[in-house]
Amino acid sequence: MSVIIIMLIGSIIMAGGFLIAFLWSVKDGQFEDHYSPPRRILFDDTINNKPNK
Amino acid sequence: MELEKFSYDNKIPKYFAIACILWGVVGMLAGVLIAFQLAFPFLNLDMAATTFGRVRPVHTNAVIFAFVGNGIFTAVYYSLPRLLKTKMYSHLLGKFHFWGWQLIIVAAAVTLLSGYTTGKEYAELEWPIDIAITLVWVVFGINMFGTILTRRERHLYVAIWFYIASWVTVAMLHIVNSIELPISFMKSYPVYAGVQDALVQWWYGHNAVAFFLTTPYLGLMYYFVPKAANRPVYSYRLSIVHFWSLIFLYIWAGPHHLLYTALPEWAQSLGTAFSIMLLLPSWGGMLNGLFTLRGAWDKVREDPILKFFVVGVTCYGMSTFEGPMLSLKNVNAISHYSDWTIAHVHIGALGWNGFMTFGMMYWLIPRLFKTDLFSKKLASSHFWIGTFGIILYAIPMYWAAFRSYFMFKAFTPEGQLQYQFIDIVQTTIPFYIMRAIGGTIYLGGVLLMVYNLIKTAKKGFFVESEEVEAAPLSVEYVPTGKKFWHSFIERKPILMLVASLLVVALGGIFELIPTFLIKSNIPTISSVKPYTPLELQGRDIYIREGCYTCHSQMIRPFRYEVLRYGDYSKAGEFVYDHPFQWGSKRTGPDLAREGGRYPDSWHFNHMLDPTSMSPGSVMPKYPWLFRRDLDMSSTNSKIYAMRKLGVPYENGYEKNANKDLITQAEKISASLKIDKISISSKKEIISLIAYLQRMGTDIKSEIK
Amino acid sequence: MSIKVLDSKTCFHCGEDCNLSNIHQHDKFFCCDGCKIVFEILNENKLCTYYDLNLNPGIAQKIIIRKDKFAFLDDDSIIQKIIQFTDGNQTNVTFYLPQMHCSSCLWLLENIHRINKGVIISKVNFNKREVFIVLDNSKTSLRKVVETLTSIGYEPHISLHELDTNRIIKGSKIRLYKVGVAGFCFANIMMMSFPEYLSSNGMVEESIRQILKYFIVALSLPVFFFCSSEFFVTACKGIRHKFLNIDAPIALAIMITFGRSLYEIFSDTGMGYLDSMSGIVFFMLVGRLLQEKTYQSISFDRDFKSFFPIAVNVVNDDKNIPTQIDKIKPGDIIKVFNNELIPVDCILSKGKAEIDYSFVSGESLPVVKEAGEIIYAGGRQLSGVLELLVVKEVSQSYLTNLWNKDIFKTKEEMTSSIIHVIGKYFTILVLGIAILASSYWYYHNEYQLMWNTLTTVLIVACPCALLLSSTFTNGNILRILSKNKLYLRHPDVIENISTINQFVFDKTGTLTQQNKIKVTYSGKKLNETEQMNIASLLSQSPHPLGKAINDFLDKRNSIPILNFKWIDGYGIEGWIEEKYYKLGSFEFIHGNMNPNQQNNSTVFVKIENEVLGEFKIVNNYRFGFNQLLNDLNKEFTVAIISGDNDAEYKNLQTILGSKSDILFNQKPLDKLNYIKHLQQIKNMKVMMIGDGLNDAGALKQSDVGIAITENSNNFSPACDGILDASQFSNFNHFIKFIKSGKRTIMMSFFLSLLYNVIGLYFAVQGILSPLIAAILMPCSSISIILMTFGMTELSAWKNGLIKHDNSHV
Repeated sequence: MSVIIIMLIGSIIMAGGFLIAFLWSVKDGQFEDHYSPPRRILFDDTINNKPNK
Repeated sequence: MELEKFSYDNKIPKYFAIACILWGVVGMLAGVLIAFQLAFPFLNLDMAATTFGRVRPVHTNAVIFAFVGNGIFTAVYYSLPRLLKTKMYSHLLGKFHFWGWQLIIVAAAVTLLSGYTTGKEYAELEWPIDIAITLVWVVFGINMFGTILTRRERHLYVAIWFYIASWVTVAMLHIVNSIELPISFMKSYPVYAGVQDALVQWWYGHNAVAFFLTTPYLGLMYYFVPKAANRPVYSYRLSIVHFWSLIFLYIWAGPHHLLYTALPEWAQSLGTAFSIMLLLPSWGGMLNGLFTLRGAWDKVREDPILKFFVVGVTCYGMSTFEGPMLSLKNVNAISHYSDWTIAHVHIGALGWNGFMTFGMMYWLIPRLFKTDLFSKKLASSHFWIGTFGIILYAIPMYWAAFRSYFMFKAFTPEGQLQYQFIDIVQTTIPFYIMRAIGGTIYLGGVLLMVYNLIKTAKKGFFVESEEVEAAPLSVEYVPTGKKFWHSFIERKPILMLVASLLVVALGGIFELIPTFLIKSNIPTISSVKPYTPLELQGRDIYIREGCYTCHSQMIRPFRYEVLRYGDYSKAGEFVYDHPFQWGSKRTGPDLAREGGRYPDSWHFNHMLDPTSMSPGSVMPKYPWLFRRDLDMSSTNSKIYAMRKLGVPYENGYEKNANKDLITQAEKISASLKIDKISISSKKEIISLIAYLQRMGTDIKSEIK
Repeated sequence: MSIKVLDSKTCFHCGEDCNLSNIHQHDKFFCCDGCKIVFEILNENKLCTYYDLNLNPGIAQKIIIRKDKFAFLDDDSIIQKIIQFTDGNQTNVTFYLPQMHCSSCLWLLENIHRINKGVIISKVNFNKREVFIVLDNSKTSLRKVVETLTSIGYEPHISLHELDTNRIIKGSKIRLYKVGVAGFCFANIMMMSFPEYLSSNGMVEESIRQILKYFIVALSLPVFFFCSSEFFVTACKGIRHKFLNIDAPIALAIMITFGRSLYEIFSDTGMGYLDSMSGIVFFMLVGRLLQEKTYQSISFDRDFKSFFPIAVNVVNDDKNIPTQIDKIKPGDIIKVFNNELIPVDCILSKGKAEIDYSFVSGESLPVVKEAGEIIYAGGRQLSGVLELLVVKEVSQSYLTNLWNKDIFKTKEEMTSSIIHVIGKYFTILVLGIAILASSYWYYHNEYQLMWNTLTTVLIVACPCALLLSSTFTNGNILRILSKNKLYLRHPDVIENISTINQFVFDKTGTLTQQNKIKVTYSGKKLNETEQMNIASLLSQSPHPLGKAINDFLDKRNSIPILNFKWIDGYGIEGWIEEKYYKLGSFEFIHGNMNPNQQNNSTVFVKIENEVLGEFKIVNNYRFGFNQLLNDLNKEFTVAIISGDNDAEYKNLQTILGSKSDILFNQKPLDKLNYIKHLQQIKNMKVMMIGDGLNDAGALKQSDVGIAITENSNNFSPACDGILDASQFSNFNHFIKFIKSGKRTIMMSFFLSLLYNVIGLYFAVQGILSPLIAAILMPCSSISIILMTFGMTELSAWKNGLIKHDNSHV
């Protein structure tokens, strides 16, 4: 049965790691701006010199 | 530090796109074939390679791993660099990834058709190919995370998280589920047995759906739908929330494939509970996708691409609503083993994966070739044809499922079963035909697309790469007064990886716990004995011919099942089954208690020509079993391997296993003699009969 | 898109109507040269995608920014205060750009490097309206970058505020951490409790149960010690002030559940209820997070200083030295340019002052000041350059005094809030019941029952459902309101609003548009020269109407007028280019009295002997204001107070009727006293709707003060809420909606009380197993949340506050 204990410990540690990742991405500010990212992907960044209007 | 010039590669995406479409057509062809085989058995052509049992795995694998797989890679290799403002980490790895994957697909097709299979659904490929898959997958991973590490855009767009999660999970699922003990090149036994194996398999099986067919395609959705509609995601916050909840919940839902089986009660309920919770994040995703197009319905009206996306996402919503319903025990009682499941799966596959892929292709190919789509008209007729195909596919299946359910549980006033199994098969055939037609129509639509896209490519010229410029990440950037944070920017993607791995693993492990409980909470049944060498060989033939694709070996505790098939199955009966063969669909009757039901001769004739024993049967003929001699050389290693896996053959038994094998074989051929059937005891059919006659007898004998 | 621009003559850049100006470049029209210039810059830098992403994305550039306005950015000491980091050859800086409003802004600002090659990185944080810029010192300078931004219409908001650096609110992040941790622990604890719940006949093996138990305990610790800390803290605070707030019972319940669970687990009598404990904590944190998020859309913490320039030019032997505002000493001579704010009280020493005091007094028409007169801080100079002698320091000047008056000190905390009251009695009640019941069982020596009762009562009766109901309702109300651009400062405000019975509106800038005066011309079309001449002639007239018309005509260069005559109260006449122009009142033009008397002022135009037409000057009321006043007037009493002259009296009278007060010429202090009077004498619950600073006192004094602003980044010192001007006409719907919120809370209170009563009924008899109690409670909470959410959404929908914005990308 000892295997479960090992697995449990492992799983909790790993899940903890996930939590840390979450906290980190909060600190990093990944969630700070919900407006720009979805719009940024719509801009094409290819070097196209749009013809003057 | 200044602006850097670089370029996005279009070659690899193009390759993957072509492969995706090509394999798509192949896989669907296989599907159409097996669909017709169910209605017209002669289409099995009495050849091993073309029987349903072998073609069906080709169909499932081709569609899932070749069609959808290449679709995923197309999306990743196109969108990832653009989202991260950098080029893919390594072009070489990309090439390797592409050719490796195609090679695997070819190998898979060949081996499956020639009968090399592990007998575990969606994981049928044998161990050498499993290893190859692992290798290519790792290469893909390196390429993906390499790209993330060398990115120029700080923020990881939500689509990328879906890619990461998919990669990590699939990697883990694949490895855990394919832990098997090779006994020869192209033959192996899984380390898990019976209930354990079932649990691991369906944990895998369900998550294959979740993380191969769903999450990557959600990523795809979050990139291509906004792009095609040229409007941002409806709610970015929602997309993030539903991402994490989705990968957290999905992983726990597996056991709902095993309701009413011999799986421990609480593990079943756990599966149900989480499947139901899944509804929320799934619909979160769907609504997010649909609302992205809010106020753009005028666009949708004329743009076939958006049409495909709308229906695709809607189908996702439908099947993610259906899923939780199916995981309710009482609903599952109806749907399990029935055509309902087939319909459910195809709503997802044809609607969600198919249509999303088509939408993507119609959007992508013109861009890769710097031109407009050859014909919008053709595209939208493809849309209508495809939709019609799906409807014509799904409705008959639902109908058939309910119809057969009510026939199964119909009793005469005397309390006898009203219908024989064969009656039910008979009434289902018309629905099989309709379904097959639906599938054919859908395939027709795809061919239209192929033509349209080829014309498009011819029209334009291929753009090998697109020049772009962007500034590198500024390491001194201070988001909120934090200084040292930059060291973290390199680490974060890794953390993301670890993160998803953890979530997933946590789920996995908790599901595996019961398998370790089994030894303790399953009353080990003394009368259950290991298979004799002959039976073991027969069992492997049973697996080789893919019998599990039509026959279950798991009797649920319902009156109408017990009366029809015999006493319901106990977990303890399967402790020596490597792999388990519970099956997931009953095109034919359950075989868990087949042993001793009919004389050997019956089985002999039945395998030779099923209709001779049960008129109207749609089962293929297996003439080759009567021609081929059994390969006895493998017995030794098989017994050895089994003992290694904990089956109590006494030491050194493998040495004289073949002696017992021969004696038992001769006994059977003798019994056949009595019924005027003369056949060499060396033939494969003998061992198969031996296995069939053994099934479920251990307990019977105990009951008596 | 360009076609659209063609047929409707709106400014291609900012979309403002530009029918009178005929500034254009091929097919594109512009409302002002400013807009045209921006367009030209973008065009020559091939940045016209800006115009493709959205239609007319720009902001009107009518106000010309002085060339060397940003000279102070060459001063190192100032630079150091503004930038975040520099290593000599490269500098990081973050600017606050309130103008940011759409994806075009986002795109343009992240492509700045195409205009100013010195910019390496420009990244936008849209939620904060900030752009982070990395610039290459060798190629450009901070000043140049700022000027680039300004040149394309995004003048960075650099103010005194920047000088006190740390303006980061860490709170929400901590909250988010807590939610993360709680969620993680809750999920896993639940996971590990599943086997216990689901295995009907103890199928889970004993050894597994043992292990699971200890994992559960371990996981519950962070929830108890980290996540739920804020409940304990607030509870303690409350108790220290001899007051049981709503957090007290929560804290107690958490503690009891925790303690009892530990007891059970270690005494091996059960699995405890840690899953429900962590569940409660998690749900409540989410609720509070939801609330908090809604406040972030606007920052209340900026003070009036942020509206003063960061530096002014001090004249020192006729050299201009840019100097930080807080370094100005009395006796300095400072230069104030066109359209700049007077930062400090001073005496006019040179130049023609025309000060717009609407910012302070609400007077809509500018005041003309002669040399030697004192000019108070807060006014805005409208024409030409001034030299001023500083008489006070910034901190002591008029505004600051006004600011520091006692009434501006924050109101004493509202302890009246329903939740707290209920929380208080509820707590006492629950404790009472728990003790009674358990002591009863103790008396009957039923110790097991006693324990059951004690814990179950507390668990079942835990008022978290009650708390949640208000938290979620208010949270959701705030969310919906802020979606509709009414930003409330605190949930308590909602409760106050629902008690309001008297509304007081400020006129200038509240009922009327910020750009106070609207001029319309009717009659024969005036050609370019005629317009020019009229403008030139009017520029001689000191009368405000003249000024107004001049602004309207918007002519920069005027031609000299040889001979003209200005008759006060009538008009002005003169000879321009051999033509006789006459501008003025009806009487002045026609000679006789006007038969039909209009209550708004009109200026007639006569050239030679022909009356060409008339300019009508009217106060420009906000759209739908009379409808709004009518509606409010039906249910509540409405009053209007204005710092303005009483020209509009009749107009307003007709709308409000005779019984309601309409007061004019009110200085800020009068307004304040009026509110006081209403509250104390008539003891009304008053809501004051005014604008920004000039009503600060009144806003503070009123029970609820709502500041109305043209752009939500505007200054709003004393208010409880900010209403975006565009939403003004829906205001009464907001009120209705908010009042409905109270009903929702009450109903959900009732529901949760019902839950509690039923629960208690079984709990006191000790027949309710703690496990069931623990399962029931989250259920009740969730049902409450769903209900409140549903109801608020419903009433929001009823009041038309939920609309689909089909906004472009």
